[in-house]
Amino acid sequence: MNSIERITKALNFEIPDRIPVIPQIFGHAAVISKVPLHEYLRDGELLARCQIKAFQRYKYDAVFGLMDVCVETEALGSVLEYKKDYYPLIKKYALSGATDPELLSIPDPYQTKRMSELLKAIEILKAELGDEILIVGCVLGPMTLTVQLLGAERALYLAIDDIDKFTQILDFAKTVSLKFGLAQIEMGAHLPLVFEPSGSPAVVPHQFFREFILPRLKEIFSEYKKAGAAANWLHIAGHTGSILSYYPEMGVDIANFDYYVDPLKAQKMLPKTCLDGNIKSLCFIEATPAEIASKSKKLLDLFANRGGYILSSGCEIPPESNPENIVAMVGATK
Amino acid sequence: MNSTVMHLLIDAILDGDVSRAIIEVKKLLNAEVKPERIIKEGVAEVMVELDKKCTVEYFNLLDIMLAGRVIMAVVTVLYPIGIPSSQANGTIIIGTPEGDIHDLGKNIVKIMLMGKGYRVIDCGKNCPIEELINAAEKETANAIFISGLISTIIPKVREVKSKLLQRNLKDIKIVAGGGALKQLTAKRLNVDYVAETVFDGLNFLKELHEEEL
Repeated sequence: MNSIERITKALNFEIPDRIPVIPQIFGHAAVISKVPLHEYLRDGELLARCQIKAFQRYKYDAVFGLMDVCVETEALGSVLEYKKDYYPLIKKYALSGATDPELLSIPDPYQTKRMSELLKAIEILKAELGDEILIVGCVLGPMTLTVQLLGAERALYLAIDDIDKFTQILDFAKTVSLKFGLAQIEMGAHLPLVFEPSGSPAVVPHQFFREFILPRLKEIFSEYKKAGAAANWLHIAGHTGSILSYYPEMGVDIANFDYYVDPLKAQKMLPKTCLDGNIKSLCFIEATPAEIASKSKKLLDLFANRGGYILSSGCEIPPESNPENIVAMVGATK
Repeated sequence: MNSTVMHLLIDAILDGDVSRAIIEVKKLLNAEVKPERIIKEGVAEVMVELDKKCTVEYFNLLDIMLAGRVIMAVVTVLYPIGIPSSQANGTIIIGTPEGDIHDLGKNIVKIMLMGKGYRVIDCGKNCPIEELINAAEKETANAIFISGLISTIIPKVREVKSKLLQRNLKDIKIVAGGGALKQLTAKRLNVDYVAETVFDGLNFLKELHEEEL
């Protein structure tokens, strides 16, 4: 059984040959290939080569055409600062002096810097790995991109002070997410992971999520499915307990859940949705391989009778993680 | 009358209404209610209400930010040039370490500390650890609050305690919070306390204050 078949079984709550395992390895792929992170993040071919090496080393079930959370905002005019071996930081937001999305134009992902490199990475991953392993792209959700265009404080205050302007920007961001994700599918991604950390109940109340974020994610996921996405995967970290019940309505097939969420509660709230999670990310730096193996086994046991599960971390496995810990997690499924 | 106006102030802050809160705070000042009392019986009471409302599971930034914006406006009316040391509950140094520019959490903590009557020295984001320590020494601070979202700053946070000890500043407490930092225990992070939320951090300070008394 290859990874795609294994994940399809998990999505359908059928019994795979083993539980799929997807460590969320992004920048860590650069570190283990001894490639400077800031170069990995700007070179699609380098990213793809590192992802392939990481997959060959660890033998898990998905590779990621994913750079960082600043790709879209940079394409729209935000100024980034790249430091050696760090993820980039936003120095100036694209809408730092205004709140008018008409000042921006929807970028062409094939022509715009870093977006096009990410598409190149996906194209290489597809050419090299085909349909044996899940090739995952990544887009920011509309709320997160709105925050990345305005800055978090301005975005949240705008939502209260000028809701019309806020929704205009949110709709603009939704269009960017849609277009970028569709381009990723066209270049060979089996699905674009939708990363929406600013939609977390730690940031906005669940009512806000329901009214403003849910309808836009629903539209995005619907379009991805029409374009051939193998599944819709939503990634929101933190305490998502109060919004998990909205996931089926949005068309989410794979729901990431973080270490804050009790796996049994997640199972209860999403009885028909495949779940992935939820080992605490920092454990991959701090814990021992035996501890990771134990945490993995505990999760596998909790899902043994239910199915519909992918063993994973709750969020990104930090670049500087101990490789032995990833070996331990993957090993727990075999 | 003052008690009624104080409640109107509390309601306005909880409602996120800046204009109404400023009207109420000016009424209190005109009635010669001292700023320290407005902080203690008005703004600090808001904090108690927010603390009750925002449990770890139901904490969200938007609610806190709305109240925080009003608190900032009220504190500015009360102390246009900042809270003087003589009237403050203590001095806190706050910053986001070098390599991290996520300062939303830090800004919220700063406002809430001010609302509790602390004098706050904000060292900003992407701030070298040495700068935090220098400020703590210069301002005779009670604590350093470090906020951080990303894991790469952890080694720097771990250095703060030993650097304070090198300067014989062992009484300055270190409180850490934020996405990455709160995944570790205080011992693993080499700090005095890891706050799950802003209110958790405030309660730690309150307990310290009570111990000192």
